[in-house]
Amino acid sequence: MTATTVDHDMTPRSGGGWSYLYRAGWIRAALMTALFGFFGFGLTVGLRAWGGYNPVLLWSPIVLISILVCAPLGFLAGLGTFDYWAGYAIGRPTKPDDHAGHGATSWRDYFKVNTDHKVIGMQYLVTTLIFFVIGGMLALLVRAELAKPGTQYFDPQTYNGLFSVHASLMIFLFVIPAFAGLANFAVPLMLGAGDMAFPRLNALSFWLLPIAGIMMLSSFVVPGGAFACGWTGYAPLCSTHQPLGAVFFNQGVQWAGASSIMTALNFLVTIITMRAPGMTFWRMPLLVWANFTTSLLVVIATPFIAGSQFFSMFDHVMHTAFFDPGHGGYALGYQHIFWFYSHPAVYIMMLPGFGIVSEVISVFSRKPIFGYRLMALSLMAIVVLGFSVWAHHMFVSGMAPWLRVPMMITTLLIAVPTGIKIFSWLATMWEGKLHFNTPMLFALGFLSMFVIGGLSGVMLGAVPIDIHVSDTYFIVAHIHYVLFGGSVFTIFAGMYYWFPKMTGRMYNERLGKLHFWLTFVGFNLTFFPMHLVGMEGMPRRVADYAPKFASLNMFISLASFGLGLSTIVFLYNMITSWRNGPIAPSNPWRALTLEWQVSSPPPIFNFDEIPQVVGHPYEYGVPGAVHAILTPARAAEVTPAEVTTP
Amino acid sequence: MRRGSIASLLGIGVVAGGIAAAVALALPWLPKPASNEADRVGPLFWFVIIICIVVFAAVAAVMIYSITHFRAADDDDSDGPPVHGHTGLEIVWTIIPTLLVTAIGIWSAIVLSRNDALGANVMRVNVTAQQFAWSFSYPEAKGLTSGTLRLPKGRSIQLVLQSKDVIHSFWVPEFSQKEDTVPGIVTKLHFTPNRLGTFPVICTELCGLGHAVMRTSVIVMTPAAFDKWLASQTKAVSSPDAGVAGKAVFTNNACGACHTLTAAGATGKVGPDLDKLPAEAQAANQPLETFVHDSIVDPNKYIEKGFHPNVMPATFGTALSKTQLDALVQYLISSSKKG
Repeated sequence: MTATTVDHDMTPRSGGGWSYLYRAGWIRAALMTALFGFFGFGLTVGLRAWGGYNPVLLWSPIVLISILVCAPLGFLAGLGTFDYWAGYAIGRPTKPDDHAGHGATSWRDYFKVNTDHKVIGMQYLVTTLIFFVIGGMLALLVRAELAKPGTQYFDPQTYNGLFSVHASLMIFLFVIPAFAGLANFAVPLMLGAGDMAFPRLNALSFWLLPIAGIMMLSSFVVPGGAFACGWTGYAPLCSTHQPLGAVFFNQGVQWAGASSIMTALNFLVTIITMRAPGMTFWRMPLLVWANFTTSLLVVIATPFIAGSQFFSMFDHVMHTAFFDPGHGGYALGYQHIFWFYSHPAVYIMMLPGFGIVSEVISVFSRKPIFGYRLMALSLMAIVVLGFSVWAHHMFVSGMAPWLRVPMMITTLLIAVPTGIKIFSWLATMWEGKLHFNTPMLFALGFLSMFVIGGLSGVMLGAVPIDIHVSDTYFIVAHIHYVLFGGSVFTIFAGMYYWFPKMTGRMYNERLGKLHFWLTFVGFNLTFFPMHLVGMEGMPRRVADYAPKFASLNMFISLASFGLGLSTIVFLYNMITSWRNGPIAPSNPWRALTLEWQVSSPPPIFNFDEIPQVVGHPYEYGVPGAVHAILTPARAAEVTPAEVTTP
Repeated sequence: MRRGSIASLLGIGVVAGGIAAAVALALPWLPKPASNEADRVGPLFWFVIIICIVVFAAVAAVMIYSITHFRAADDDDSDGPPVHGHTGLEIVWTIIPTLLVTAIGIWSAIVLSRNDALGANVMRVNVTAQQFAWSFSYPEAKGLTSGTLRLPKGRSIQLVLQSKDVIHSFWVPEFSQKEDTVPGIVTKLHFTPNRLGTFPVICTELCGLGHAVMRTSVIVMTPAAFDKWLASQTKAVSSPDAGVAGKAVFTNNACGACHTLTAAGATGKVGPDLDKLPAEAQAANQPLETFVHDSIVDPNKYIEKGFHPNVMPATFGTALSKTQLDALVQYLISSSKKG
């Protein structure tokens, strides 16, 4: 490294002989996973024997302590996520600017505890894509079973497990962390910062994710089968009427939730304290605003789902009775706590997408974002209102009836800031110079699908209509229009948009467009008919249904297989372009935000010199406007003209 | 904005709105209503749908117009006009949606309060849900329980719902009314059937392995026919004839929803065929009477090939009185020997 302003210590740790046994890495991780697992087993069995509990080998506490708590901690410790802190705690000399685990020079560096936010962003994205593919295959198995009425391939426990794990993976291991991955890569660059505020915490938050995903998936091989109570895990079905697999869900959510909270704290501190000079809040790109507001939601709301899952798990394993009415528990309590997180979670899964779309639409329309301040303020409005609507998931739950009308009013009002955003995006496009590259296509796909999802959301806000369609396929249609047509489309938009910056190579534009059209058409053919079957009376979460819905379900299943196949185009494009795509210029989209002013991929510490921000990030078409002043990036292929646009 | 662009914007909007309206009108969205409450939900539904179509058409028009008119050539590196916003426009698209959702909210609140308001001469029915069956008891005919819900047309009905195990949800699509049954608390649901016919009762809250088959029917009858049925059932339950009493227990507990039994006209396919009880008892190497009795009291004791444990409720042993249980066993033995 030359010409860096800070003295970075990049010396790798080394040792000889048997050092690979105790050096941070996969071998030590395997050893410590086993060691901690056995410790947990011994602790539980030992305490039971000592206390005279019978039987000594009771599997639910053993599995919980040994496999779901201790072994993952051993894995994290073995991999080295705690090494720096542990060294500091025992008084070993530490260097604040120790960058031994920073940056990637070979593929091996992606399998390490890496403190570089760009590497972590890629780790997030590749991991979440793997779970996206697995979750998608589970959905196709669900559709295979539903192609015909009656039961074909799966017994009820397996079928219920399939859709439960599908939803859990898609929510906790794809949509939420994929946004965290994109933001991890982009936010520090956009702020003009060298990295996140807490790089080691950042590394730890990533490595919690595979643990959560493997835990949820492995519930399929637990005796009794996977958790089969839906991703909502309603008590008392999930807390006292399920096999051990339910605990794998409870704990999986804890690991994913912990990851989420740590990342959100990291974003908040980074955004508040590490903005480049001149980067005031009103000069931040909307992606940064979106992640700021999302992080507020995560930090405030996620502890509630953690609580609900702990209580449910305690009921299951320790025979407490938080939600068990037979012993004085209150079953509805679960839903209130759960939705107090899980409604804000809908915005956790949507606001970062709003941020991505704002970037993409402004850049590809060559116009400033329309009504920037109102766009940022409407994000804040959604955060505030988002905490006052949770009981609209419970209109038929038997909760206090008076709660329904106030919750309906707040729910309907959320349509206002959401509408402001949609109209502002349209106004941004108006009279612009539109370029329909793949990110723009996905942004427009999002816009049209999210309008439909938002309108069906308004229908659901109206209590009498909600009472009719609650827990039917109408709900399934609505959430997929919001989470697939909404969130997933924006994730695709973001992945294509930042692909050149992340990999230094261009993706294949023709394959990208093919991917968009296959997804867009397949998506609508799959999910639009679900509105109809739900309205007419088909409940969700059933393997068997009335024969009158047979032909529509066959149609939906066939369409879903087409939708599944479209993902192959995407993966093929990503993999081949990453390996062999044409070299990307530093700023292929002629964007103004800071991440495009450095080389592709960016230098290891982002900026040779901290940039000075002097203007707004979306001043397209404004003569002589500059967002930030910085010395040209070092990479040789960048021409000064590209760097200083406009 | 030029006049030509306004005209083509309107044109696209009308076409998009027309397509959306055609989809809304051509497909049978709501089931044919069979209650006063569903009759009120229908107009509200159409009111919201009209608003949705207008908003959708407006968004589609601007989007399609922009895509077709503002497309830049690949080599066009110029920028659009640097418009940063328009306060008037921003106020307009804040206020109009606020007014629209306020209207939806007011109409919804009115429908909700009218749908919840009990009419005169309310009939209460106690609903008990359990994995995976419904049972309905009529306080007006003391002690009568039935596995299918029979109701007189035109009377205000209040269901008093309870659950024995997990959360279930009572839904009749044609009534547009739904409420969860929650263990530990009592919930209520009100509706007024106004059309004769048989409609499905569907459990809509995931309740375990048999959730998909937790169904029964609601039969809306004329008040006269309903009274006649009530009287005949009350008589049958207390009949000294084991055959008559046993058949009443079989029908009232909705055994036929899952099991086939020719003598009772039951054709359920979820559980084993009860016409084949003698053969099944033989396979289990048990005397027929013991086999039938144990299979009701402890359904997991013998599992027929092709069926799953934990699907049939295990509570009949305690829910039925000894007289009822004996009558049911005798009825099943005599019916299956015939069948």
